[in-house]
Amino acid sequence: MNNAGMLNYWIKAAMIGAIYAVLTISLAPISYGVIQVRVAEALTVLPYFSPAAIPGLFVGCVIANIFGGNGLLDIIFGSLATLAAALAVSRINNKYLAPLPPVVINALVVGLILHYILGFPAHLTILWVGAGQVLACYGLGLPLLLFLEKRRHLLR
Amino acid sequence: MSRSITLGHYLPGSSLLHRLDARFKLLSLLIFIMALFWLKTGGGMAAALLLLILLLAVARVPFRYLLRGLRPVMYIVLFTLLIYFFFTKGGVVLLRLGPVTVEQAGVSQGLFVVARLIGLVMATLLVTLTTTPLSLTHGLEFFLKPFQLVRLPVSEIAMIMTIALRFVPTLMEESQRLMRAQISRGADFESGNLWRKARNLIPLIVPLFVSAFRRADELALAMEARGYRLGARRTRLHESKASFRDWVVLLFSIAILVVIIVARI
Repeated sequence: MNNAGMLNYWIKAAMIGAIYAVLTISLAPISYGVIQVRVAEALTVLPYFSPAAIPGLFVGCVIANIFGGNGLLDIIFGSLATLAAALAVSRINNKYLAPLPPVVINALVVGLILHYILGFPAHLTILWVGAGQVLACYGLGLPLLLFLEKRRHLLR
Repeated sequence: MSRSITLGHYLPGSSLLHRLDARFKLLSLLIFIMALFWLKTGGGMAAALLLLILLLAVARVPFRYLLRGLRPVMYIVLFTLLIYFFFTKGGVVLLRLGPVTVEQAGVSQGLFVVARLIGLVMATLLVTLTTTPLSLTHGLEFFLKPFQLVRLPVSEIAMIMTIALRFVPTLMEESQRLMRAQISRGADFESGNLWRKARNLIPLIVPLFVSAFRRADELALAMEARGYRLGARRTRLHESKASFRDWVVLLFSIAILVVIIVARI
């Protein structure tokens, strides 16, 4: 791709990141914490449509976590989990499986961080985070995905 | 929604902590957090929290900023304390409510874990309160540099981080405009439980994307027209240089970590 095309790709990624941060920050009370349903996690289905969402979600997550105030561990590992999930989603072709990686990867990574920080049994923290992610990714992400599928042109 | 638009935590100022180089602050933060995890005793943890409070005072952070910053973790703190108090057993029974007891081990372990969590959040706050998001981004870019070797597009990521930061307030405003536009056409964002409210946001996300992507096209075109080349070496208006005090702070945090490890505090 030429310079203009690549530039467009990166700026779109920046906008996706900004939207992720906006959604997380403006719904702060339920976005952070043990029982978290982060509405913005619904956006993790976006790499299914557009590869620009991969760096975009990562950057958005870094910004959201800096503002979130759960500490540096969350900023580093939470964002890397989102990046890994975004990479996985971009490689999945089945729309019903697309919301799965963010559920599994975030539940494991964030769950283990919480286990490490709070000292609760790991299987409990993983289940907690996983439950919140199922709500966000399947409850909101999948409808968003199905909604966008008929409107793919909007994401060009 | 509008109530929560206090973008980031940055508190302008000119204290010693404000003037430190962001890279050194980030590195010192990382070392301090390692130290927090190495702490074994309640006394050590109390000393660490005191040091943090002292540093917040040096940075002239008003007390309410600290409280506001701690608010997001308050639920976790309360929840954690409850779990520890009622489910961790050992030591003297401090409280007996029928079959339920609160025992000493539960209280001490619960308080320790919660103190560490608050320490983690306070330490991070100390950095985010005294560093502009932009210098934080430059700092992060510096630490990501080595990953260029594994073909991670570090400068591009730093560039989009800066742009995303710049557009957060714009898109926040945009989302409120869209909300009002949809409310005037009969959309409902207010009623129902949290879950319903969350689901009602989906129709909002799509127009937000459309408008954000339109801005993206314009911005990309403008950057291209002004000769922005991806992969070109870039220079900065304000180059950050490490000074003597940056090194002092870094060495100080390393010293804390070493003392904690050696003295088993």
